[in-house]
Amino acid sequence: MLAATPVVCGAQISVAGPVQAGAPATLQAPGSGSATLYLFGPGVASKRSVQRGTVTIPSDELTIAGRYTVILEGSAASFFVTAAPLNRISFIAHPSRVPAAASGAVLGSAFLFDRFQNLVTAPTPVNFRLGVESAQAEERATSSKNGVAWVQLNAGRRGGPAQFTATSGSVSVRRVVQQVAADPCSIRMTASRAPDGNILVETAPIQDCSGNAVPDGTIVTFASVDKAGRSTVDARIKRGFARAELPPSSSATISVAAGVVLGNEIHWGGGQ
Amino acid sequence: MNRPSQHPLALFAARTIAVLCLSAGIAFMPATMHAASRTLDASASAPRPVEEATATAVERDYLHGWKSLTAALETNQAGLLNENFTGTARQHWQQAVDLQQQSGLSRRIIDHGHSLRVTFYSLDGSALQAEDVADLEIEYREGTKVLSSEHIHPHYLVLLTPAENSWKIRILEELPTS
Repeated sequence: MLAATPVVCGAQISVAGPVQAGAPATLQAPGSGSATLYLFGPGVASKRSVQRGTVTIPSDELTIAGRYTVILEGSAASFFVTAAPLNRISFIAHPSRVPAAASGAVLGSAFLFDRFQNLVTAPTPVNFRLGVESAQAEERATSSKNGVAWVQLNAGRRGGPAQFTATSGSVSVRRVVQQVAADPCSIRMTASRAPDGNILVETAPIQDCSGNAVPDGTIVTFASVDKAGRSTVDARIKRGFARAELPPSSSATISVAAGVVLGNEIHWGGGQ
Repeated sequence: MNRPSQHPLALFAARTIAVLCLSAGIAFMPATMHAASRTLDASASAPRPVEEATATAVERDYLHGWKSLTAALETNQAGLLNENFTGTARQHWQQAVDLQQQSGLSRRIIDHGHSLRVTFYSLDGSALQAEDVADLEIEYREGTKVLSSEHIHPHYLVLLTPAENSWKIRILEELPTS
């Protein structure tokens, strides 16, 4: 156990509360004459000589939300400082790149703060919006709880930089989520004889199921199987297409794939 | 009944060792060791459930944070907050410790325990919010003189974020009790 509280000889002090962060507090200290006033709170500890009566605690000592205790010659009183109005949103968006049309793949958490970095704990409406310019955006209206609002949205169907915003009143914050093409929807290729006798294989433009061009650099694998064995060539998509040359063959089965997506198959030679 | 006789010197030595051990134990026992009940309830966590290993780590690091805070406020060593606090929580409490030191004030807190309830755990695992009802005795001091003391059950709103190998307290905000 702690030591007993000192005996209170004077009349009790009182503070009107709660007080909004950044505002002064008024303390009633009955009696007359000077006394030493102690203030303890989150982020503050002070002592000063005051005249009994109405004592003002300056606003710069009351900027952090929480419990404050004032002590004046053995008499103590507590009061609360609550957050000031919303001033800033701390917005965490995840991930920074997402496949187009991915379900529930975009996450956002908004933390609401006042100008003193206190969490604004009162329920506050927050609107989330995710969309690529000139495409229909997905919106969700929520209310914060304990200073936090969160959302889980589907990625849009169109690729490009999507603006992901969290707005509450006049405060808005924006993040960019890059919506990229998902896996190819289908791969179509054609084959022809190259001047040097090799088999030239080339795909049609490769797109995801929403019509977004699969990014350049994505690996496409061409494979040829004939009686001599199997030959594979990895080619990168360049300007929407993938192209490669396979070894010459009189009769071969040629296939194409990118990731888990398999394209069409061509039987080369033997009447083809 | 026969009892084996003990040499007076051996008895004295044994008693001395026992007393020394007890004294050492008391001397090294921090004030916060009084903390008794420790609970973390993650059943209301949203939008993501809290994995058991995470719950254990959060509870351990949060309670360790309180040990750091009580020690810092009692001894006026702001550096004690570095391990478990970050962001505004560290900034605010370091400021409190610095101001206490400047004025010759301190706070001694006896921590009787915490009841922690997780209310938010972000889907990407980058933030966890909880409500804590604590049981604290606080002694406000000037030098060695006790100015006042109180026994309270404060209601805290806590935001923790993961660091390299622990959870750190980013926000520790006491709410008014309704």
